[in-house]
Amino acid sequence: MTNNLPTVSIDHITKTFGEFTAVSDLSLAVYPGRVYGLLGPNGAGKTTTIRMIVSITAPDSGRIEVFGRQITPELQDRIGYLPEERGLYKKMRVGDQLKFFAALKNVDAKEADKRVDRWLTRLKLTEWKNKKASELSKGMQQKVQFISAIIHEPDLLILDEPFSGLDPVNVEVLKEIILEQRAAGKTIILSTHQMELAEKICDDICLINRSRKVLEGSIREVKRAFSRNAVALRLEGGNDVLRDRSLVSKIERHSDGVEVLLAAGTNAQALLKQLIEAGAKIERFEMIEPSLNNIFIEKVSEAE
Amino acid sequence: MRKFFAVVKREYIQRVRSRMFMLVTVLGPVVISFFGVAPALIFSIKAGGPVRIAVVDQTGKLYQSVYESVMDNAGTPESTPDQMNANALNKDGSERLQQMGEQQEGSFELEEVRPGRRSLNEIKKELDQRVLAKELDGYLILPANLLEDGKPEYFARNTGDVFTRKFLREALSRAVRQQRLAEANIDVKIVQELSEPVQLEAMKVGVTGGVRDSGEGFALVFGAGFIMYLTILMYGQMILGAVIEEKETRIAEILFSSVKPFTLMMGKLVGVSLVALSQLAIWGLALAAFAVYGVGLLAAKGLSLHIPNVPLVHFVYFGLFFLLGYFIYSTIYALIGSMVTTAQEGGQLSMPVVLLPLIGFYLFLPVSRSPDSSFAFWVLMFPFFSPMTMLTRIVTQTPPLWQIVLSLLLGFGTVALLTWVASRIYRVGMLMAGKKATIPEVMRWVRQA
Repeated sequence: MTNNLPTVSIDHITKTFGEFTAVSDLSLAVYPGRVYGLLGPNGAGKTTTIRMIVSITAPDSGRIEVFGRQITPELQDRIGYLPEERGLYKKMRVGDQLKFFAALKNVDAKEADKRVDRWLTRLKLTEWKNKKASELSKGMQQKVQFISAIIHEPDLLILDEPFSGLDPVNVEVLKEIILEQRAAGKTIILSTHQMELAEKICDDICLINRSRKVLEGSIREVKRAFSRNAVALRLEGGNDVLRDRSLVSKIERHSDGVEVLLAAGTNAQALLKQLIEAGAKIERFEMIEPSLNNIFIEKVSEAE
Repeated sequence: MRKFFAVVKREYIQRVRSRMFMLVTVLGPVVISFFGVAPALIFSIKAGGPVRIAVVDQTGKLYQSVYESVMDNAGTPESTPDQMNANALNKDGSERLQQMGEQQEGSFELEEVRPGRRSLNEIKKELDQRVLAKELDGYLILPANLLEDGKPEYFARNTGDVFTRKFLREALSRAVRQQRLAEANIDVKIVQELSEPVQLEAMKVGVTGGVRDSGEGFALVFGAGFIMYLTILMYGQMILGAVIEEKETRIAEILFSSVKPFTLMMGKLVGVSLVALSQLAIWGLALAAFAVYGVGLLAAKGLSLHIPNVPLVHFVYFGLFFLLGYFIYSTIYALIGSMVTTAQEGGQLSMPVVLLPLIGFYLFLPVSRSPDSSFAFWVLMFPFFSPMTMLTRIVTQTPPLWQIVLSLLLGFGTVALLTWVASRIYRVGMLMAGKKATIPEVMRWVRQA
């Protein structure tokens, strides 16, 4: 699993803009054949980290290696990047546009032609090939942008918020392609706010908050580490107990019950005892793995 | 290299294919010739009827010659060239404007008001009323001592009409001058013949002896400078737009993950320049076709043609310095484009750029007057002015080759340097999206990028 060399290895990098520290002493390693989720609230430093990996900007200190080498502009051709800030040439035809992006990645014209057609078919955009980008809906534009990131068959694919603005059908299509790439041994770095999706796609995650890494590991490890804390409940009454901050650090209500995270220094037994004493009628009481969403919120609010 | 050509190709094809390009290519010459003709057309618009002026002649003998002087000139100003500044070739812009204004003042109506026994004040009061009642447009009072040192006075509703004022002043001068000559018993015709101006012929000294220089070289330089200026104005904005495009469409980040900023910037510059050259070539060819047709027409009528007396190598220099001038100013526009985030901001910032080549135009004069001075030398080496001034220098007195080569090297070196600076600013500026850069910030970007 992690026996081969990392595709990307980041070693104690720091990046500041004037007074503001965007990334502080960050280290991480991303391995081939895995999907790496870069998670964190807005302004945590995800995009800056990604920009340093694709060598748009350089770290003030620390070292970044991609494919085992110090990043150079030449290595950029092996990286596919879908930035969060993305656009298309409004007046350029979709097909021409994609060929242009392919040429910028050193793909020769004939090969680019073939790949454009293949990808447009795959993403059901064939009939839009000769339309101008401004005629496309936002979702369609996003698919075109995605193609532009992958057209040169990169070994490392970096996607910054790839799912935002897509409908569920297209989210599925994109997910499928990402998993396909992973199966082909490519490395994928993904930044997203959508925790449910991250949970389904990512193998490893790194949670960044306020320029620092707060959590890292495979999804399984991370969840296991938190599993003692989460309880799923279906009950009547006992609301006062659930509101007790010394017992419950976080509560999430669903249509058929609630999920709670236990506060530090307490355990499930104590909560159950309190609920029974309060006269609550309990239908379900189950230790569960917390959702990534809950872990995220807990970790981020911990820092505040 | 493939990346560079991809950028060039995209910039070129996208622009040449656009409807705007077709439109400008077709309509450009029409618009330019319209602006050549429009001022004359506008000035020829004559609102209202003739200017009605009453003349109170207190000298008692000038009215007739004033009347003749006004009527002779009105409507046919070409037939009576002012002898004192007859060199029509030397008319500058403002003079030409006035000439057109005078043409416009085609007609005057004069009437003589005899003072009789009334006092001047009574006459004035009466005439004031007629002017206010719009029976008259104004009236002139010629004092009795006008032939000596008196000053005539002009009263009118509209004294802001400078053309009428100037016209009247000249007509009065002529009338007074003639009257004075007549009273001194001098024949007017003799005076006209005696004051005929001299025509100076300029000869250029070269190895083959004196060659008549009819000023065609100079005219060509002026033409080249003018075309250069127009080109900078027209295509500078296009460069600006091209550089801002990726910021406004938010593609910049994708590009920067694929191309070096310098490659991108150079590609844009070259791409847009090819567009400019294509358009100019189309116009040039069309013009040449018309010219050949026109010359053929003249030849058929048995008229001799005149081929400009300019050495061939000068045309090569024109080409080189034209390109230099174009690129120097294009890179300035690129630099501006790299600092701003929207086209509007860019438009505001680029205003002063328009003035820089104008200074080059003015430097033209001192350089042609003393081409060997060290002032001229430094002007010739200064990249922002060299394209225009060096051409002047080459035509007036060709400098040693090393100076021309040095000037070209300095110029194109500056182009490369500016492009490099622009590309650095461009990249860092893009990362700080959304806010306008201050000058110190920009300086820091250049260093840190």
